[in-house]
Amino acid sequence: MHGPAPGNPGAGTRINPTKGGAAMIRSLEDFTRLAREKGPKKLAVLAPEDEEFMRAVKAGWEMGYIEPVLIGDMKKMEGVAEKTAFDIGRFQKIPREGQQAISDLGIRMLFAGETPIASKGQIPTSYIYRSIIREEAKAASGMTVSVVTFWEVPGIDHLVAFTDTGVNIQPDAEAKAEIVKNAVFVYHLMGYPNPKIAILSGRREVGGDLASYRDYKILKKAADAGDFGACEIVDATSFTEIFLGGRDGLSSYDRISGDGMPHILVVPCLDTGNVICKLDFFLDVTRSSLVATSRGPVCIPARSDFSDNIVQQLAMCVVLADRMEKEVR
Amino acid sequence: MMNSFKDILRAAKQGGVKRLLIPSPAAKDLPLLAEATAGGLIAPCLVGDGRMIKTLIGGSPLDGGKCEILEENDARRVLGRAISHLRAGHADILMQGGIAHQELMDAVLDKNSGLKTGRVASYVSLFELLKRDKLILITDTYLNNCPGIAEKQAILENALQLARRLGMEQPKTAVLAAIEQVNPGIPSTLDAAILSKMAERRQFGNAVVEGPLDIDCALSQVAAERKGLKSIVTGNVDIYLVPEIDTGHLLAEALVFFGHMQTAGLVMGTSNPVILKMPFVSDENRIMEIALASLLCGKGGRNG
Repeated sequence: MHGPAPGNPGAGTRINPTKGGAAMIRSLEDFTRLAREKGPKKLAVLAPEDEEFMRAVKAGWEMGYIEPVLIGDMKKMEGVAEKTAFDIGRFQKIPREGQQAISDLGIRMLFAGETPIASKGQIPTSYIYRSIIREEAKAASGMTVSVVTFWEVPGIDHLVAFTDTGVNIQPDAEAKAEIVKNAVFVYHLMGYPNPKIAILSGRREVGGDLASYRDYKILKKAADAGDFGACEIVDATSFTEIFLGGRDGLSSYDRISGDGMPHILVVPCLDTGNVICKLDFFLDVTRSSLVATSRGPVCIPARSDFSDNIVQQLAMCVVLADRMEKEVR
Repeated sequence: MMNSFKDILRAAKQGGVKRLLIPSPAAKDLPLLAEATAGGLIAPCLVGDGRMIKTLIGGSPLDGGKCEILEENDARRVLGRAISHLRAGHADILMQGGIAHQELMDAVLDKNSGLKTGRVASYVSLFELLKRDKLILITDTYLNNCPGIAEKQAILENALQLARRLGMEQPKTAVLAAIEQVNPGIPSTLDAAILSKMAERRQFGNAVVEGPLDIDCALSQVAAERKGLKSIVTGNVDIYLVPEIDTGHLLAEALVFFGHMQTAGLVMGTSNPVILKMPFVSDENRIMEIALASLLCGKGGRNG
């Protein structure tokens, strides 16, 4: 997704943030509005064998976001289509059995340019990551696969992205540098010329140095030297520092606002990323995730996500795919 | 069972006045101490240079004999003096004043002269779920960087002790990890599975421990069932045990700052409750930390 990929025009071209001039996307509603304009786009759907997911595909089609190409076990797909009253007769269907085989085919179609987006259905994400890593290797893009999870938070005037929330178990500073580049690329696509980034850490008044804080210092230096292009790593590494901005503790945090919230929050490790990004089950935030590969976005709803949330994630991928086509290719 | 901060405050007041020690107090501590004193929770004892303390409290609600002063004019000995006082049984609770976190915890955890009684001291953050009339515990959110399985066992035991003091008869614990499946490539899932098995063998007494659980399965029974996971823990967790400090500390902060949730906490695994100044605990919730500490001083609440 970043860094040139010889022999693959389009892959690995970093956006010049001043060139695009695309409208800035501040909310999930911006994504849905733009998806209606930019869709329908062909979507390789990998194993839509779950009612909740098929319901989302149906809604995505009805809203004009996507035109699905359904890949998976025919009986299962037809079964859930019937249960969700979705006539799939008009769409291309590719029978395939076995989770890895389904994943490999769909991701191959994305990388071959047959569909600008792919989406996971009811199969474990690890199969999808494996397919993406293989295709990126074949494309010699040199990219690290990482997941970007957006939060829409009331009172914050932009989407906040946690990354990497899905692939790298314990990334070191080198891996985090790639994770930063991927997320910066996505924000450039979203119309942010100079996104702000916080490298999160559990560093506090006790416990000495942490690897996550050492990573912050390394990455900050690299960003200041321009290694990640147009972006800025802020000094804060915790939510206390982000929200309080150097103030002492306050009498109440009931009305504290996230003014100055960075756009991108790089989590220390997979455990942290996954635990925090899915707090939408608990908090008044809305979540939406994707993997941005060198050839287009891959929608990766969690197996526990509900159809409304999945439709939102599809809309986001449609818009980013559109901008990637225009800006990169 | 206590389901809210109000319940804790009420129970603490019923438990009677506790002697609270505060080495090197700061001006910012005085309103809190005055409130807790007036509320019948504590009898404060300020440790440090006598003259400076008298100047500090002069004109404050604590002036006029409303607090004890333990004179120690050598600044280097203030903390040691306070801890000796606690060890001798002359006080019940230690609260951080103007002494830095690391210095305080080094003294508290000193094997020979400190307050540690358990194998591991850990920090428990208590959160109030207003919509569900429920309290949840998250641990370890402050002290241990990367606990191994033995440390996690002790951290869980510390949290269970607090949960039981709050009246949870059979606390339900989610041992959190990135995914709900046991994956040899993700160490947190292995620790979680071991703790879950230990609980099955009743090694934590009357408690249910489920792990590994990702946060969506822990928070939502419906989400868990969609992943094929059925448990009495999912969607109704009392204790969230986190894998390591990056996750624990950031999770507690996220709930406060993004979720506007009320929190209070304290150190467990010590002979006497220890209250720290946490930047993510609002000033108005610090009284809850005193109430929580008071509860643990009472019958059945021995800390550690």
